[in-house]
Amino acid sequence: MSLFEKFEKTAALYNQLSDAGMNPFTVVMETVLGPTRAVIRGKETVLAGTHNYLGQTFEPKAIAAAKEALDKEGTGTTGSRFANGTFSGHKRLEADLAAFLGMKHCVVFSTGFVANLGAIAGLIDPAEDVILIDADCHACIYDGCQLSGAETIRFRHNDPESLDKRLGRLDPKYKGKLVCIEGMYSMYGDTAPVKEFAEVAHRHGAYLLVDEAHSFGVYGAKGRGVSEADGVMDSIDFYTGTFSKALAAIGGFVASNHKELEYLRFSSRPYKFTASPSPATVASAGAALKVIKETPALKEKLWANTRRLHAALTQFGLRLAAPPAPVISVLIADRETAFAAWNFLLEHGVYVNMAIPPGTPGKDSLLRLAVSSAHTAEDLDRLVAAYGALAQAFPAARVAA
Amino acid sequence: MASVQGDDDLVFHKICSLFEPLNQKGVRLTRETDFIADLEVDSVSVLDVVMDIEDNYDISIPVNTISEIRTIGDLVDAIHSIKKRQA
Ligand SMILES: Cc1ncc(COP(=O)(O)O)c(C=O)c1O
Repeated sequence: MSLFEKFEKTAALYNQLSDAGMNPFTVVMETVLGPTRAVIRGKETVLAGTHNYLGQTFEPKAIAAAKEALDKEGTGTTGSRFANGTFSGHKRLEADLAAFLGMKHCVVFSTGFVANLGAIAGLIDPAEDVILIDADCHACIYDGCQLSGAETIRFRHNDPESLDKRLGRLDPKYKGKLVCIEGMYSMYGDTAPVKEFAEVAHRHGAYLLVDEAHSFGVYGAKGRGVSEADGVMDSIDFYTGTFSKALAAIGGFVASNHKELEYLRFSSRPYKFTASPSPATVASAGAALKVIKETPALKEKLWANTRRLHAALTQFGLRLAAPPAPVISVLIADRETAFAAWNFLLEHGVYVNMAIPPGTPGKDSLLRLAVSSAHTAEDLDRLVAAYGALAQAFPAARVAA
Repeated sequence: MASVQGDDDLVFHKICSLFEPLNQKGVRLTRETDFIADLEVDSVSVLDVVMDIEDNYDISIPVNTISEIRTIGDLVDAIHSIKKRQA
């Protein structure tokens, strides 16, 4: 049975949690009631662990657009972007996204994960290029590097000087250099100093890729992300994003001012060999994008909710990972205590996300709260009450006195 | 540093001192010590210690190289070979 032996240790923990009815990784939304409510374990629960930042999962315009596409174009494309699955809707969405970002080119992929895989592996030649990545980059960026087969060097998280050093000591043999960072990081809710990274990367003749998966629609005056908030949209060589968070659908994209981005359409296997997003998906993402453009109030509401929750959790003395951001993580050193705390919140009618090492930046486990503009005053009250009780019941979640 | 095997290699000693804080079971560190099997540290912790090693020696050790490294001895050899190349 040597094929399965390697799973034994993890499986023991997984089964032990499941047997105790406490496994955060097997939660089922039994009935979805709205953008911030679902029935979990038979009980109506406030959702604060999904990434519905702008509450667009039930946006009427997006639902109407999806229904119309479903009626007119059917349930699926049954083909890949490259071969037989590109509809006019995909092209329209690419043009809309490019216009929104102020970039010339955009390529739509089937998910954000696949977009990063496809961009990195599609752009990089392992024989002559090198990739430098922030240590805390998402799994799909690591996997994109691995898929590319190129030498990959990590630099310290959010540390432009650490990148500078590593670019400085690169072997001159490399032709292309690609630096990968994110806008807002989803574990702690901390943001990258994109401007400094752009300066360092370009000084060394490297290209900069920024994954704004969690910050698209959320940061910047127009909602273009941390790159916009930092005033450096024009310095981003490759901008990647997802439809699965602020746009509340499923899919991903890469945008750029380099006309060569279009080469991905033949160089990128994750573009060529997987089915394209369905017509309804594309239509709802497009409609949600339009809502972001026309309704800045959504972003303002998200930030108002964020400030309220962050202030309340701070006041409870909870140990928070970062300054106010739409992801608010409470750090708990001990994993078992974190599992208990997570279950405590669920028993108090609040669902948040749970993350444990090595999937986290440090040694702590995390209770990740993702704020939504759709959280109502009552949702917020319930969240605050549950976290208040948590702070009382779990001293391990508080800042040491 | 009683647990460190007698060895006159400075790189070996440096690596042992960086991994000692993660050596929770207090195993004796030798060239054969396996990071995952013996020290029971996860792959990300290895990557983080390697970052300290990179800054200490002013070299870059690609992730690709690290993923092939199992033991302290492998890491020592990798550092020597990168130092030689980058010299
Ligand atoms: C930084 C980052 N990039 C990419 C993704 C993947 O996006 P998608 O859910 O569209 O595959 C995620 C989210 O899970 C993410 O956090």
